[in-house]
Amino acid sequence: MPKPEPKLITFEIDGREVQAPEGMMLVDAARLGDVEIPFFCYEPKLGAPVGACRMCLVEIEGMPKLQTSCSTPVKDGMVVSTTSERVKQAQNAVVEFLLVNHPLDCPVCDKGGECPLQDISYGWGAGRSRFIEPKRHFEKPVALSPLIAIDRERCILCYRCVRFSQEIAEDYQLVFLERGDHTFVGTHDGHPYVAPFSGNIVELCPVGALTSQAYRFRARPWDIEDAGSICTLCPSQCNVKYTTRDDTRVLRVLARDNQGVDDGWLCDKGRFGYQAIHAPERVTQPLVRDGGALRPVSWERALSEAARALARAGGRSAAIVGGQATNEEGFLVQHLMREVLGSPHVDSRPSGVLDPAQARALARPDLTAAVPDIEWAGAVLVLDTELVDEMPILDLRVRKGVRRNGVRLVVATSRPSSLDPNARAVVRFTPGAGEAFLAALGAALGDGRGLDELAGRAGASPEAVRAAADALRDAGPVVVVWGERLSGGERGRQAVARLLDLARTLELAGTEGAGLLEVPRGTNARGLREVGCLPNLAPGLADAAAAGKSAGEIAAAVPEEISALLLVHADPLSSHPDRGAWERALDRAGSVIAFADFLTPGLEEHATVVFPSESEAEKDGTMTHPDGRVQRVRQAIARPPEVLPNWQVLAELCERIGKPAGVVSGPAVFERIVASVPFYEGLTLAELGGKGVRWQERDGAGRVPESTLPEGGLEEPPPLEAADLRLGTAPSLWSGPVVEHSPILRFLLADQRVELSVEDGERLGVSTGDEVAVTVGGASVRGVARLRSDVPPGSVFLVEGTQSENATALTNGRPRAVKVARAAREVTPA
Amino acid sequence: MADQTRVLLDDIDEPGLHTIEVYERLGGYQALRKALTTMEPDEIVAELQASGLRGRGGAGFSMGQKASFMPKGTMDKYLCCNADESEPGTFKDRLLMQKNPHRLIEGIVIAAVAAGANRAFIYIRGEYVLQADILNAAVAEARARGYVGANILGSGHDVDLVVHRGAGAYICGEETALLDSLEGKRGNPRLKPPFPANQGLFRGPTLINNVETLSNVPIVIAKGAEWFKQRGTEKSTGTKVVSVSGNVQRPGNYEIELGIPAREIVYGLAGGPPPGRKVKCWFPGGSSAPVLLEEDLDRPYSFESMAEAGSMLGSGAIIVVDDSVPIVSLALRVARFYRHESCGKCVPCREGTNWTVKMLERIDRGEATPMDIEILDQVQQNIMGNCLCVLGDSMAMPVRSMIAKFKDEFIAHNERAREAADRLAVGAGLSSEPVDAAA
Repeated sequence: MPKPEPKLITFEIDGREVQAPEGMMLVDAARLGDVEIPFFCYEPKLGAPVGACRMCLVEIEGMPKLQTSCSTPVKDGMVVSTTSERVKQAQNAVVEFLLVNHPLDCPVCDKGGECPLQDISYGWGAGRSRFIEPKRHFEKPVALSPLIAIDRERCILCYRCVRFSQEIAEDYQLVFLERGDHTFVGTHDGHPYVAPFSGNIVELCPVGALTSQAYRFRARPWDIEDAGSICTLCPSQCNVKYTTRDDTRVLRVLARDNQGVDDGWLCDKGRFGYQAIHAPERVTQPLVRDGGALRPVSWERALSEAARALARAGGRSAAIVGGQATNEEGFLVQHLMREVLGSPHVDSRPSGVLDPAQARALARPDLTAAVPDIEWAGAVLVLDTELVDEMPILDLRVRKGVRRNGVRLVVATSRPSSLDPNARAVVRFTPGAGEAFLAALGAALGDGRGLDELAGRAGASPEAVRAAADALRDAGPVVVVWGERLSGGERGRQAVARLLDLARTLELAGTEGAGLLEVPRGTNARGLREVGCLPNLAPGLADAAAAGKSAGEIAAAVPEEISALLLVHADPLSSHPDRGAWERALDRAGSVIAFADFLTPGLEEHATVVFPSESEAEKDGTMTHPDGRVQRVRQAIARPPEVLPNWQVLAELCERIGKPAGVVSGPAVFERIVASVPFYEGLTLAELGGKGVRWQERDGAGRVPESTLPEGGLEEPPPLEAADLRLGTAPSLWSGPVVEHSPILRFLLADQRVELSVEDGERLGVSTGDEVAVTVGGASVRGVARLRSDVPPGSVFLVEGTQSENATALTNGRPRAVKVARAAREVTPA
Repeated sequence: MADQTRVLLDDIDEPGLHTIEVYERLGGYQALRKALTTMEPDEIVAELQASGLRGRGGAGFSMGQKASFMPKGTMDKYLCCNADESEPGTFKDRLLMQKNPHRLIEGIVIAAVAAGANRAFIYIRGEYVLQADILNAAVAEARARGYVGANILGSGHDVDLVVHRGAGAYICGEETALLDSLEGKRGNPRLKPPFPANQGLFRGPTLINNVETLSNVPIVIAKGAEWFKQRGTEKSTGTKVVSVSGNVQRPGNYEIELGIPAREIVYGLAGGPPPGRKVKCWFPGGSSAPVLLEEDLDRPYSFESMAEAGSMLGSGAIIVVDDSVPIVSLALRVARFYRHESCGKCVPCREGTNWTVKMLERIDRGEATPMDIEILDQVQQNIMGNCLCVLGDSMAMPVRSMIAKFKDEFIAHNERAREAADRLAVGAGLSSEPVDAAA
């Protein structure tokens, strides 16, 4: 559905002439004329208005009854009154009715002071109560979930939370129970409301009925301040505001509603993960290995040990940069490696080498879709990624496009996706066979020759591939949301070639609103790529002077060619494939210098120096969203006394090794980046402002290196090797240090589970709940079996990034045939 | 005893009328044949419009006009027969469905063809188990004879018909709540616009009509709009099945020509209140209609005349209340019903019905002040016109009419109850008031 073009009309409200886009709801149009109309249930983010609260009634000339302004589109020449006697009486009446059953416990209510019901009662109520009967009572408060408390006495039944659950998150868990004045919000059978986006209902609630279990009674509105920033926990980079107290503690995270990024929603990890900032186990001072164990030391000692180790290694150093590094940190790391130590080995991609020419093709401004394009595309192809786990907020965006604008959704993944029910076509291909799937899709979009053979190589059904092609063909602008996984491993280059070929077939480059959107593994993967944190790319996607080793090659080169490892917000043992190789590398490296906020078992065992990282709320810097939006990360609270800004530590290392980086502040590093990345030309922090800027939409975009889409020359994808079970892995939203160290989220922490088809389960004598071992080449991962009817036979899926039994033990960038067998329950000695 | 004018109830006592054999023997499905073989859908709509047939479910909107709102063009369109007859005092549709299901089915198929709908539903209230069984059997018979289903009578028109039972909520008789319920959701009214004719069931254009309205359709088609219009008044054409209940000697369904004096129905047909009793007030159109007084019985019983009297003909259910009934009890009975049935979606209805009940209970216990009766009245005003659907008004209108017409009785009722409570308290030694030995 094409985005509608608004046309301006003029209407009259309370005696003033106001211009507004035609069709805008009256309640919003009134605001353009500085007329405020009160409401509770209206929330355009939730879709069509429901007109339940009746607070927004207005009088419109020519209409006998008062109308709900939330559901009345403004028309040219409309004459509206929000202050007539009739309207006032209705407003007084609705406020009075609302307070009939609302307890007056504002002094002990978390919402008090920031409560729409309070504000509207003051502003539009009669200021008196005539209700003397007993109010209704519920047990209060009760846990709606471990994250959310519900006080049903305070609930004014505005429908917001229920609509969110039904129409936005589509988890269909929250419902109204009972009827009339007995109505209450709940779940079927009182089951806890646990869902990836549940926390949004706390923010939607216009009264104190839904409160955050983590924030309840922690502060009153006059104790707190807001500090805008972005969430750095995943590539969604949602705009958030931290609620802080005394400049030292984050008490809450709220959405900051950036249409271009998050549409006003947050996932529960982003909303509640701030607790990890204040976890007692966080690293808040420098550590040095001494006598076999890491011990707190002075900054002086840590810096000099690290500088000495790096200087000694020189060109035999290598850096692994984690996705949570800012552009500034990334830029300084590659500077330290390339310019100071003379080592070309720096990598920020866990999934293998990205061809430089392909990287430049993928960066073409006309080929990159912006996030809102998803909403208005003709079709969206979700390719080899599970959005709810890898870039959660896009999951909601895709649902919105499908639900509201009829976007045709095609899901092509190995593992069943939570978006499958919304899709017009679903294709399952064998884990790692994305390249063959794209080849088959290309055939289906073309003359169909070789489709069956190629689909066979992808392990996909030709009919499903054909249905996907039918949905994409002539759909209008297509947005391809593709996972970094596709481009990983041994045949990643060929897979990206196929992806670019698909972009050419679907004419993404020439079409407004079409394009590719990568779902990378790391939060700031795009920014790190653009500031030069890939082994073969210098800042600005230029070819590196000397090609360095990729992460996998670095691991293999220790200790012969590499002796010092710099791990910046990264623990390859949990994030990189081939855990065995990394265990050997960390074990044999002369020094392992890490920037970290938590000591993972890998760092605990192998790091020689650990610099404490700033938490996301303590950092200043920039990150680049996967769609090219450069955004500011802003400091919200003071750092713990012993934590230094990481850019400063990196600059200090340069200086101590003898080649000062010449930067004296974070913004100065940003200026250096802008000077080094041609397409960031002229960008300033002021221009980025609160909502960021997509560099593709600036003049500098023309300075991205030229790149043509390769024509032809595509390789045939290899045939599927015979295998009993092929291994696929998938990250979980609920794995990683933030979940481990936020007490309130810990109940969600992902354990290793082994997903199997029912057929394979029966064949192997495995049922759901059994402890099983997945084995390949001598390595083995244990987990709890889960049989799913929608998993295709022949595939088995493990979770990436779990605390123990991490799937990385079995992955190596190549398709892997694995064995699954019931494991004897390990007896832990008492 | 006055006479009925039997058109809809013409053959109602014919044994086996609910079977297709008997219905066809009496000329059944001839109107369908006529409509499908000799008329274009537009002509059917025009005929219905010309007949002046008004909706028999409560709102009294022109049936033909409603059908004409259905958009043209090929899309999924629907017809829903509202058989959720739940208004207290109304039991006419039950009779029509139980005794003459085929006339309803015939009307549905004609109306569906006229509206371009090829899927039709009968949403029947859950308590009507017998009637649902009868309808299901009748639909099966009609389908077997080719009156329902694909290519009806070789006309190329398809109309599928499904009988769906509700689960016992008054609100599902509200047309948009009915649609939500039929879609499998919680039966809550929707915001209008969009009106069902534009966006109704499953977002498709939907025509919704009452059982009695649709049962009239074969008559209009068979005998023509002119014939139909000969009965009734200019603005209320045809006959109406009136359910008479309450304090009358012969309660039941009576078919009358619209426009006859209400007194003829209440006294002539239903026998009036028991001997020695007088009509205190009466609901002319179900419990949601404002009450009228004894003298209003001389008004013609028609849509326009009842509106003029400040009430409404509604579903045509007359509830007669005689002078043995305290008005507070009546108001409480009405308010409790609507409080129980309020869906809870919009604020004025949800809280207003609840508050009204609590205040009336207090008056009934003698714990109110005259100010409370003022508040009670204002609460009704605050509900009226401010709700999402008409349920809130359905309580506010009758309760308000009772306060307006019997205010003194409300005050006296409260006083009497208070005195009685005081006497009890004194008797139990709970009051410190001096006891007047003479009392």
